[in-house]
Amino acid sequence: MKTARASRRRYPRQAASGTTRHRTRANDRLAWTGLDLLNGEIVPSLTVLLTTKGCYWARRDGCTMCGYIADANPDAQSADIQKQLFEVLAQYGTAFKIVKLFTSGSFLDQEELPIDARDAILSALADTPKVIVESRPEFVTSEICGDVVRSNRHVEIAIGLETSNDDIRDSCINKGFTFRDFVRASKVAHSDGLTVKAYLLLKPPFLTEVEALEDAIQSTHDAAPYADTISLNLCNVQKGTLVEALWKKRLYRPPWLWTAVEVLKRVKPIATIICDPVGAGTARGPHNCGKCDRQVILEIKEFSLSQDSASFTATCADQLLWKYVLEFEKFSYGAPLVP
Amino acid sequence: MPRHFEVTRRDGAARLGTLRWRGEELTTPSSFDSKEELEFLNALTIHKAELDVAVITSQEDLRAERIDADVVILGGAPRFGDDPRGLTKALVRARELTNPDSALYVPALATPNNVSLLVYAGVDLVDPIMAEVKARDGYLLSAEGERQFDATSRSYCMCDACRGVNVADLPPEQRVTVLSAHNRHALKAELCIARENIERGTLRELVEGRCRTAPMLTALLRLLDEEHSYFERRSPIVRTATLLACSQESLNRPEILRFGERVIERLNKRGGILLLLPCSARKPYSRSRSHRTILKRLDKLRQFLHEAIVTSPIGIVPRGLEIMYPASNYDIPVTGKWTCDESEWVIGRLTKYLEANAFDTVVAHVSGPYRKVCDEAAAALGVDLIHTVKDENTLSSDSLQRLCAVVQELIVEYSPKQRDLRFDYIQDLADYQFGPNASTAIFAESPKVRGLFPTYYASDGRTRIATIVGKYCTLALTIEGARRYLRAVENRYCVRIDDFVPKGTVFAIGVLNADPEIRPFDEVIVLNERVIAVGRALMSGWEMQASKRGAAVAVRHVEAR
Repeated sequence: MKTARASRRRYPRQAASGTTRHRTRANDRLAWTGLDLLNGEIVPSLTVLLTTKGCYWARRDGCTMCGYIADANPDAQSADIQKQLFEVLAQYGTAFKIVKLFTSGSFLDQEELPIDARDAILSALADTPKVIVESRPEFVTSEICGDVVRSNRHVEIAIGLETSNDDIRDSCINKGFTFRDFVRASKVAHSDGLTVKAYLLLKPPFLTEVEALEDAIQSTHDAAPYADTISLNLCNVQKGTLVEALWKKRLYRPPWLWTAVEVLKRVKPIATIICDPVGAGTARGPHNCGKCDRQVILEIKEFSLSQDSASFTATCADQLLWKYVLEFEKFSYGAPLVP
Repeated sequence: MPRHFEVTRRDGAARLGTLRWRGEELTTPSSFDSKEELEFLNALTIHKAELDVAVITSQEDLRAERIDADVVILGGAPRFGDDPRGLTKALVRARELTNPDSALYVPALATPNNVSLLVYAGVDLVDPIMAEVKARDGYLLSAEGERQFDATSRSYCMCDACRGVNVADLPPEQRVTVLSAHNRHALKAELCIARENIERGTLRELVEGRCRTAPMLTALLRLLDEEHSYFERRSPIVRTATLLACSQESLNRPEILRFGERVIERLNKRGGILLLLPCSARKPYSRSRSHRTILKRLDKLRQFLHEAIVTSPIGIVPRGLEIMYPASNYDIPVTGKWTCDESEWVIGRLTKYLEANAFDTVVAHVSGPYRKVCDEAAAALGVDLIHTVKDENTLSSDSLQRLCAVVQELIVEYSPKQRDLRFDYIQDLADYQFGPNASTAIFAESPKVRGLFPTYYASDGRTRIATIVGKYCTLALTIEGARRYLRAVENRYCVRIDDFVPKGTVFAIGVLNADPEIRPFDEVIVLNERVIAVGRALMSGWEMQASKRGAAVAVRHVEAR
């Protein structure tokens, strides 16, 4: 853990400036449709990426695995952000049961998303059964929740808890808040009738595969009482991050898909847990041996909708290697055993 | 603090050692075997107990001044699997900053293929983790490399795990069992071979062969060779095994580079007439048929000449050093053709040799590739060579006749001093071993030289000063020789010890101070306030000073000061 801290501090963060912008998002799309789970039913969903000036924490300090700040626009104005949403709605319509609004920062941070834009956007989606926004817990206050409820009563606040372990969140992720902060935010949101989703990060840097597996399971147990849904996010290697620097030095490997399957199977009885394996099957994303990846990705997606462990049927010879890695990776003292 | 690791034998950076842990003795280089052992060691990194274990986890740790522990772990080693540059730097740095009494453990990287190179670089401990990972990836490992098993693969291995089994037909789990047993066995077998080669002093020959099987390993050896001072500081001055120069990398062996440097930097400057001769298969050269023929023909004329032998890969060997390793025992593939690298290297050595000395004239009794090399060196310096070989045959009576005629004329023309050729051997060895001007310091007045080739000895009337001793043919000083040397140069090749009278062996724990220039098997002077002694170093000078365990000097004679 000491090492994790030392490496993190030395790592030069990329300055967030408007002059060089890299598009890291999949296919440069700013919106897409999909299927999601709503009260046990599979419904069509719309995901919208809103370009804001970016996460204040990323601008100030930043998390070890997050490179979304490269997609931000420091000059994004209120009107501009509203326009982004309305253009998407004009194109896709408003018939979706779930709309996810991702700023890659905190939707509830008024510095990032001005109040007028926030209220206009939420009001426009007042009839949507579920609107999911993301925020760090420090912006989940009773004042802000009250404002949110006035514009839209179906909001779910997704919080990047990442892990319930404060040491890992601090040393390996540099998240800058504690489990208690999350619990407080969750209680505030619930008291205003809003729902909460907790994001958990599978395999932050500096953990071995088995440590990551156990941390995700423990975190689900800890977070389940405070979250209506848990989303297991499989760590991927984003540009300009500490995780990328470690990955390039062969000191980090994204999680095995088998690890994700194991977590999902083991926590199924205690929580509604979904998982969208972003970038899976690639070197930068969660992956297995390459032969079984496609099938396992499909099964994870299927499980997210069905919540039925029977979704997992795949087997592959590389499970023997994965099991060996779980058992022996710690004896390499700091590097993954296989790329 | 008691040390749990002791180095018992060295071959360059590689060492044989003994690790005392868990109530038993483990002979290194070795592989941990069970998970229990790995867990035990892992626990020791957190809880200090019986054994002191340190982990190098970051670049920052590699920049540390010094790490002192019984076992030092190079953390995250698997990341160097295909990064020979990173691996070279990390290994050399890790070894340099840890105490010589520390065992270096490189986790989860060793395979039967690479382990001899790891050991060559200075690694003492490995484990079977990578061999197990490869087994689960479907690879059959051997010292020659790795082979992936598919439906058509057949194992030709005769080890217990493979015999009578067709791995390709087995279901995955059984296949892994067989491959893992085979891979572990192959790793252990290769470690045995590496240990045996260290014992014989021939590990370099082994790794030059092993590295051929994978570009990564060839790159690793070439990059390690660039760390010349790291290996030179650990390379013995002499050895009994024959140096086999079978590859391009052989040219960059530490002892070959060191020999080349010392011939230029340490030997007395010469003038007069230089005779260049080709090398011979038999060593020392003067015992070969070709040299005996030439030398017999020259006979007394030799006393007016300086002779030097042109050879690949050693470069230039002055006659007096023909009995010194590596010139005394090396072998190369003889095809009559030299590679560009060989020629370039020898031309460079000859050019430097001619530059460093002030010969009046140079006679080249050489033919074929030797002649080309000599001509190019002479051309580079704008010097004229006198060629004496006719019809490309150095031994024809025409050539020999011409050689004698030319030499006779030159002796008349330049009237060089007449010398005792036996003293050349003693003089050159003294300078080669003890540094520039050592011979003038030790043998101020021209001494009497007696004895049979090559074990000449020099005396000053009644007192013997120095003797060429058998087996390694190093020049051993007597106490009188040591006193003379000390009068001229303080501290060089000296080992200062605690206040005791050494008998037989001086151990590293008793060494206060030692010349860092001392190499294993160097002749050294052992001193304290009471006594002066001479003997043979068993480890490098810097290592004597840093170590707490092991034999440092085998003492030959002791006298009161």
